[in-house]
Amino acid sequence: MRVARYLLQRLAFVLPQLLGIVLVSFLLLKSIPGDPAVLMLGPTATPDAIAGLRAQMGLDKPLTSQFVLYVGHLLHGDLGTSWQTTRPVLDDLLQRFPATLELVTFSLILAIAVGLSLGTLSALRPHGWVARAVDLYGLAAGALPDFWFALVLIFVFYSAAHWAPAPLGRLDISVIAPATITGFLTIDTLLAGDLEAFRSAVAHLVLPVLTLGLINAGPIMKMTQSTMQKMLAADASRYEALCGIPERLVVRHALRNALPPIITIISVLYGYLIGGAVLVEIVFSWGGAGQYAVQGVLNSDIYPVLGFVLFSAVFSLVVYIIVDLVYVLLDPRLTH
Amino acid sequence: MRPARVSAPAANDPASGALLRVEGLDVVFPTASGGARQALNGVDLFVMPGEILGLVGESGAGKTTLARSILGAPPAPGRIAGGRVLFEGEDILRLREGRLRRLRGHRLSMVVPNPRGELNPTLTVGEQIALMARVHLGLDARAARGRALDMLRAVHIPDPERRMNAYPHELSGGMAQRAVIAIALICDPAFVISDDATSGLDVTVQAQVLGLLRQLAAEHRSAMLLITRDVGIAAHYCDRVAVLYEGEILETAPRDALFLRPAHPYTLLLLAAFSHNPELRRGWSAAWSTAAEPATACRYAGRCPLAQPLCRTETPPLAELAPGHAVRCHFPVRH
Amino acid sequence: MGLNGRWRFFARSLAVRPRFAVGYGLVALAVLLGLFAPLIAPYSPIEANSRAFLQPPGPAHWFGTDSVGMDIFSRAIYAPRIDLTIAVLGTLLSACVGTTLGALVGFYSAGRGPRAWLCNSVMRAADVLQAFPVFVFAIALVAVLGQSIQTVVLAIAFVNMPIYLRLMRSQVQGIRSMRYVEAAQVAGVADHVILRRHIVPNAIAPVLAQLSVNVGWGILLTAALSFVGAGVRAPTPEWGSMIASGFQNVATGQWWPSLFPGLSLAVTVFGFSLVGASIEAFSDPVRRQDLAAAMERRAARSAGRQLVKAGI
Repeated sequence: MRVARYLLQRLAFVLPQLLGIVLVSFLLLKSIPGDPAVLMLGPTATPDAIAGLRAQMGLDKPLTSQFVLYVGHLLHGDLGTSWQTTRPVLDDLLQRFPATLELVTFSLILAIAVGLSLGTLSALRPHGWVARAVDLYGLAAGALPDFWFALVLIFVFYSAAHWAPAPLGRLDISVIAPATITGFLTIDTLLAGDLEAFRSAVAHLVLPVLTLGLINAGPIMKMTQSTMQKMLAADASRYEALCGIPERLVVRHALRNALPPIITIISVLYGYLIGGAVLVEIVFSWGGAGQYAVQGVLNSDIYPVLGFVLFSAVFSLVVYIIVDLVYVLLDPRLTH
Repeated sequence: MRPARVSAPAANDPASGALLRVEGLDVVFPTASGGARQALNGVDLFVMPGEILGLVGESGAGKTTLARSILGAPPAPGRIAGGRVLFEGEDILRLREGRLRRLRGHRLSMVVPNPRGELNPTLTVGEQIALMARVHLGLDARAARGRALDMLRAVHIPDPERRMNAYPHELSGGMAQRAVIAIALICDPAFVISDDATSGLDVTVQAQVLGLLRQLAAEHRSAMLLITRDVGIAAHYCDRVAVLYEGEILETAPRDALFLRPAHPYTLLLLAAFSHNPELRRGWSAAWSTAAEPATACRYAGRCPLAQPLCRTETPPLAELAPGHAVRCHFPVRH
Repeated sequence: MGLNGRWRFFARSLAVRPRFAVGYGLVALAVLLGLFAPLIAPYSPIEANSRAFLQPPGPAHWFGTDSVGMDIFSRAIYAPRIDLTIAVLGTLLSACVGTTLGALVGFYSAGRGPRAWLCNSVMRAADVLQAFPVFVFAIALVAVLGQSIQTVVLAIAFVNMPIYLRLMRSQVQGIRSMRYVEAAQVAGVADHVILRRHIVPNAIAPVLAQLSVNVGWGILLTAALSFVGAGVRAPTPEWGSMIASGFQNVATGQWWPSLFPGLSLAVTVFGFSLVGASIEAFSDPVRRQDLAAAMERRAARSAGRQLVKAGI
């Protein structure tokens, strides 16, 4: 019951923010030059046909009423239609968003594994060579363009060594996708019992996940390093050492106490990566939602972009709410 | 007040057979301007099996530094610069990490002040006490929990089953202090250091906690180093007493000798401050000053009402005045 | 410390922390290459020699040639002109606007009334701005304003402005409550003078550290925009668009059209990150002390070595 009330309180804050995001996106995207009616009908269209389509799409109404109409449609679950794919944006996104989510989720898992372990190691021996190497890795990872790093990996592991599959989407061309249940190929192939498809999906995930995971491990690593250093120097850790508790347990307890700010960074990163994976999606022809939005912008197809911004904002907010609930579970001081 | 128990030492070496023996311990702290400050200077003391040694000193004298350095963990950023700490024949300062870890908490443990700041805030009190039994005694989870519960009963925490599952921030100061005592004693150590374990507690709670410590020490037959700022506590609970001033031991004596025949001017001052005799208090209170003292050979010479020119030029050694009674003073008070 | 003393401190700290020296060196290299590219480059950066396309690195073309025959080395060292200019301009613009706004918001945000409400609205607007997927927002801005170098600069400025806004605001809020500010207010000193004289100089340090890192991000964003075709247009040499034009060749095994521009880009951004780390170390008093201690140790060691050499 407490949880339900807390969620309602958060939603009360969140809805105006969402509305603000949608409004700003709407105004921004409507300013993009390019008449959708012209784009849809093609260069041979007559002015009458264009005018008719514009009236039909409501493009001749003032912006404010267009916005109100849009919000009205939103509440009915209609995110508009993409003139490029000629399908409802909602359908397009429901197909593509899981692809992005799968990629980002696995990349985040890798980033967490690398960031937590290296950050903890460098906090344990702050003047050792591990700490210095970790610092340099953090700086270097932040300096690499992810799309370029992806190309390097493709060259090394595909062109040169022929280990990785061609960077053309999520599955081999010869493999048939399983029935969509979650949208995550790794899960759906297992649920369908199709091991060959599963292997193909995993093989295609390797390079993009490596790219995004290794590059984005930096912020997690730095936060882990600084927080763990503080925790290990704190009275509670020293007391445990004084009582003869072995180092690995002291570290484990310190890590548990150090988690809140690290989890905050992870949640911010998760939200950021949904949009931030775009370039890697493009390089690997992933068919993800970010790619869809970018194509929308470049082609003056604004509803896909609006829909993507909405999905991405809602996703971030859901992640933040879940994280806040996790905090309450982790720290007994908050509930008492 | 119970009669003091002083074990009979060997004729030539008063410290032979000691359970814990600190010899010439030097601890140095780096200062902000790049130099170093001597926090402990050639500290010598010993504790016989089953004995309670009191260590009195004012704030900043180095009591906590000494306590933690005995366990081989001087407070950061201090560094042990020399000396030996012999415990059951081994020099703690030269032990390997693994051996040191096994000793700490098991054979040699410490009761810390400010327990709520030192206990892990995300573990229950029961978990932390039981952890000691699991790590050092190898007990499984259930047995360790049972033993932790026994320990909580032994330290007279009311309603121990419920308190087991409490977090440190939910306990009062006195209860947290008892929990920390339980942690220190659960593995039946041979030696316990109590570092100012009762400052900040109500007087009645203080009496309970100290009485408990003494009783448990007697039951477990452990020796104890009882560190305190309160001379009265030393008088009540200790067999022998040492006086620490600015990192140096100024006087060590059996309790009765220290209180009836104090030899160092500083000890006299300490006792006078606690005395019921107003003349005594007035007479010695003029010697307290808060101005920064220039460095002198005898550390106390700057504030000493009995200081002679020699005191400023030559450092007095710790010399034996009477059997078991040593004092670091050129002109100790004779009675 | 005095200006002379500061320079000496700086020089000696470079000796103690070689990574800082590397950072400053790399940044200097990028700037110099950009400035003197016409003198250094062996070929024109936009001249295509269609007979020499896709040549691997060799003595004639150190970095090889791309698919239309342009020399990659020449283009790679011309690229800093565009990338650095855009990144620096964009960062400076976002820093100026962001810190000014942030200082004002931080100063006036106390209490109730219309001013505080305005400050609150600014912060909520910044929240909304930051909730956008950065890259999509940048592309949308470029699409709205038209594709040109100026709009890329504006996009970088817009995207980074909230960072400075928040940073300056929290700094100013911390300093505003200090005694010397209160004293100035009681003495009747005008608000803008207080801000200028007392608050901003003390608040500026983390902003300076952020500037250098931001320029690095600006370069990455410019390259990313050019990579998808929404930034600098071909054939202007720019690292991102060079990587894009070499994109297809990677699969067929010609790695050099994409590798070298990306490497130059990464190394330059790395240099800016190191410079930012050094500024951070200089402005944090604790780490300044660490540096001073390290310098003393180094001086002591070299003095000791001299004694040994003299045979003592």
